[in-house]
Amino acid sequence: MPLFCGLPRRAWISAALLIGAVAAICTVLGLIFGGTGINIAILMLLQIAAVVALAVFSGNSGVVSFGHTAFMGIGAYVSGILTMAAAAQGSALPDLPVWLAGHELGLGTALLFVLVAGVLAGIISGWPLSRLSTGSMAIGTLAFLIIVHTILIGARDFTRGSQTFYGVPRLTTVWVAFGAAACAILVARLLRETTLGLRLRATRENEVAAAAIGVNMRSARFGGWVVSIAMVTLVGALYGHYLGAFSPKDFYFDLGFTLISMMIVGGMMTVTGAVAGTVLLTLVVQVLRQGETGIDFGFIAIPGVFGLPQLGMGLALLLTIWLRPTGIAGLAELGPGGLWRTPSVAPPLPAAIPQPAQPKTNGALSVSGVSMRFGGLMALEDIGFEVPAGQVTGLIGPNGAGKTTLINVICGQIAPTTGFVAIDGHRMTGLAADDVARAGLARTFQNIRLFDRLSALENVMIAALSKGHDRATAQGIAMAELSRLGLADRWDAAAGSFAYGDRRRLEIARALALRPAYLLLDEPAAGMNPTETDDLIATLERLRAETALGILVVEHDMRLIMRLSDRMIVLNKGLKIAEGVPADIRQDPAVIEAYMGTKRQRPHLNQGVLK
Amino acid sequence: MTRPLHVLSACAIAALLATPTWAEDITIGLATAQTGWLAFADQPSLTGFQLAVDEINAKGGLAGRYMITLDVKDTRSDIAATVQAAQELVSAGVQVLITPCDADPSIAAGQISQAAQIPTLTFCGTTPTITDAVGDYMFGTYPADNAQAALLADYAIDQGYKTAYIVKSPDSAYTLRLPEYFAQVFTAAGGTVLGEGTYTIGQQDFAAEVTKIAAMDPQPDVIMTAAYEPDFPAFLKALRGAGVTAPILGSDGIDSPTISGLGEIADGVVHTTAGFPTEGSKLGDFYAAFEASTGARPETVYVATGYEIPYILDAAVTAAGSIEGPALRDALAGLVGVDVLTGKVTYAGTNRMPSRDITLVQIMGGARTLVLTAAPDPASVPAP
Repeated sequence: MPLFCGLPRRAWISAALLIGAVAAICTVLGLIFGGTGINIAILMLLQIAAVVALAVFSGNSGVVSFGHTAFMGIGAYVSGILTMAAAAQGSALPDLPVWLAGHELGLGTALLFVLVAGVLAGIISGWPLSRLSTGSMAIGTLAFLIIVHTILIGARDFTRGSQTFYGVPRLTTVWVAFGAAACAILVARLLRETTLGLRLRATRENEVAAAAIGVNMRSARFGGWVVSIAMVTLVGALYGHYLGAFSPKDFYFDLGFTLISMMIVGGMMTVTGAVAGTVLLTLVVQVLRQGETGIDFGFIAIPGVFGLPQLGMGLALLLTIWLRPTGIAGLAELGPGGLWRTPSVAPPLPAAIPQPAQPKTNGALSVSGVSMRFGGLMALEDIGFEVPAGQVTGLIGPNGAGKTTLINVICGQIAPTTGFVAIDGHRMTGLAADDVARAGLARTFQNIRLFDRLSALENVMIAALSKGHDRATAQGIAMAELSRLGLADRWDAAAGSFAYGDRRRLEIARALALRPAYLLLDEPAAGMNPTETDDLIATLERLRAETALGILVVEHDMRLIMRLSDRMIVLNKGLKIAEGVPADIRQDPAVIEAYMGTKRQRPHLNQGVLK
Repeated sequence: MTRPLHVLSACAIAALLATPTWAEDITIGLATAQTGWLAFADQPSLTGFQLAVDEINAKGGLAGRYMITLDVKDTRSDIAATVQAAQELVSAGVQVLITPCDADPSIAAGQISQAAQIPTLTFCGTTPTITDAVGDYMFGTYPADNAQAALLADYAIDQGYKTAYIVKSPDSAYTLRLPEYFAQVFTAAGGTVLGEGTYTIGQQDFAAEVTKIAAMDPQPDVIMTAAYEPDFPAFLKALRGAGVTAPILGSDGIDSPTISGLGEIADGVVHTTAGFPTEGSKLGDFYAAFEASTGARPETVYVATGYEIPYILDAAVTAAGSIEGPALRDALAGLVGVDVLTGKVTYAGTNRMPSRDITLVQIMGGARTLVLTAAPDPASVPAP
């Protein structure tokens, strides 16, 4: 689909519909209220652009940013200085450095410089911010609000400090504002579907799962932040050209509160929500403003009351949080497959889908001398084994044996105290979880970790994109894996709507789309009924037959693990107590003791679930 | 997309043309903050303004012939809402525009009314750059920062203070520039500024700042600041707690009951205000009349300064004999010695921030007493 830059046609349609809807609303405003309506429209369009730009980061990453308004200020000041008439500049900014003075640029040229400033500001602020954890990052944005605000006040020669910065040409016409809103909507709507947008949304849904399919959260957040900041800086320039005069306080908490309210009321997870929230709150404010002058019905006159717009805004926010926490638009974008449901036509498969990588027949995932000490507790002690390619290796052990710790070490979530993990001879220890994933180890989770509010196809496609495939190929791989797990007909449904067994299978499809050499299944049958377990066993046996994957299964369900495993490893109290083929393990006295706590009783290891 | 918006601009023009303007009426548009953080000043200003308009209308209107109609819009203390309200009022054809008690929205709104040649007055914006930033249709009404500072400096010199220390905050033009203007006038008159401290608005802990002052040897003769609540009380408590006894000069931001209620530590604080009601004065009579009609005394002087504005307009319309924008602008700019509640207001010879009487009061025993009312010497008022 080169016509649409490789992005889904529905995203383009959705963006066009949103832009059309905004145009229609502005036209109606103008037709009904004339010049007043146009005034309302200009501010609404600028706010739409700002809220949409904010949602590019906050909506996709799930991290609410309090800092965006300060960057709007940067845009307003940069553009103000560059476009200001020389005479006005002489009186307003007498100490402006010569190289900045008297440029009198046109709006278009000035916006280019604003864009550069925005990208730079985004990079400088995004670098430290993206290194913070999710909770700290929101606070970090608050810190940047204060830092940028302080800089704007401190740079008196450039900004007049806390004094009003005036003489900014009022260039933001309704057309300019509409152009800004339309561009912001188009960019934001398409960005959702790009690799960056998908990765960001994956980290929003589940950070650990995103890392497990090779998504580097840090770089995804950094990328989203820079784009979002660049956009909001441009909107800030136009906001400045709308106001004509401003000071740093006009780009501080109050404006931020307004924009965040609009985003939350509309629904921060979609572009449709950002637009809807802004339009709704604009209407609430403008309608309630009419109450300020009082209404005379002829027989009864209602006196004017000030403050109704704020009450209305507060009420709208309260009702949203109470009745519809995901906002007006919820999770659905305006357009096909979103707010209106069309029969799902599966995306076409590309002619050639790369087949799963064939690991070297003599390759292995090897664990060598791994020990893990937490303070005084020795969780793992000198564990060593191999997961050979093309075989299924079972890992069992009673509760507290150290299985979870071992899995976390293998997947790169924690570094072992000593020892290392290697894939086909390449040392993995020291790499981050997402690096390990891209190096060839995919996994599923005991407590299923899907990207619930993304479609099944998106869930799986993000994994395929991690291996550097282009979008069409990644989509092909994703559809192929969904087919393999029998989920192809539901590619468009949100992962959160899947039944339990299907969720397990979707998670496996997602792991396989990474085209791994090794696959780690963490209790894949947990919570499944016997029928579902049988289906799962059949699927895994098929997988073993079809691919050369080396599979490591951690499981309590003895029926499953005894039937599937070529070899088994048994852990107890941090030690490897047995290793061998299932028939031997079943008879091993050390294993029996570990599970039953006594040598005298003979357990029926092949008959049920040992917990 | 193209066609609907053409229709839309046509409608805009039609709406503009359809607005009726009666020959003998004047519409005053008020784009002021009746809610939000700025309402503390704009709300009482509007109360006073409306009171005066009712009185003037009862006497036949401005100059006895132009009945006043008010078009009041709340700006919610938001600059974008102020721009929107100003645009609506200008489109609706108001002949005079009133803007909030703050420089940002006043300048933003003024830039719109300036282009439409509509005389515009700020309720109580004190930043002296407001008028020059906008142009010849923009007028101040309230004592400007530089004028307040000049009167305080003149007073300091008269008291024999030779050295001063200023405390300022870069967070707002008022808290930053007012002390700077003071330092400028004080130095020009032969005083010496020994040092300056800075604070952040809302900062509760002044220990470091105060330790610095307490360690000064010799101590400054006077300390000047434009800090207001909650910074001023916190600063004052810390300062007196550290044993610093130097007298304090403040600005009209501390003209509130909270400050006089601080007890002993506030004794001796001298600050500026737009006006102080004494028995038998015009302002005193106004306060008494206000109390008689509403049952309560005005809570702030903004009621009085808001009340003065229609009377300033009355004088200008009378002088112009017209309510046409350019004529009214010229008449306003030429006003000399208009008698208002708090003294006399003069625009002639100024940059449209008026030369007007300012009052100094002293806090003692929980109450304020009048120190003096005077207009600062125009020659000593620093350029904005």
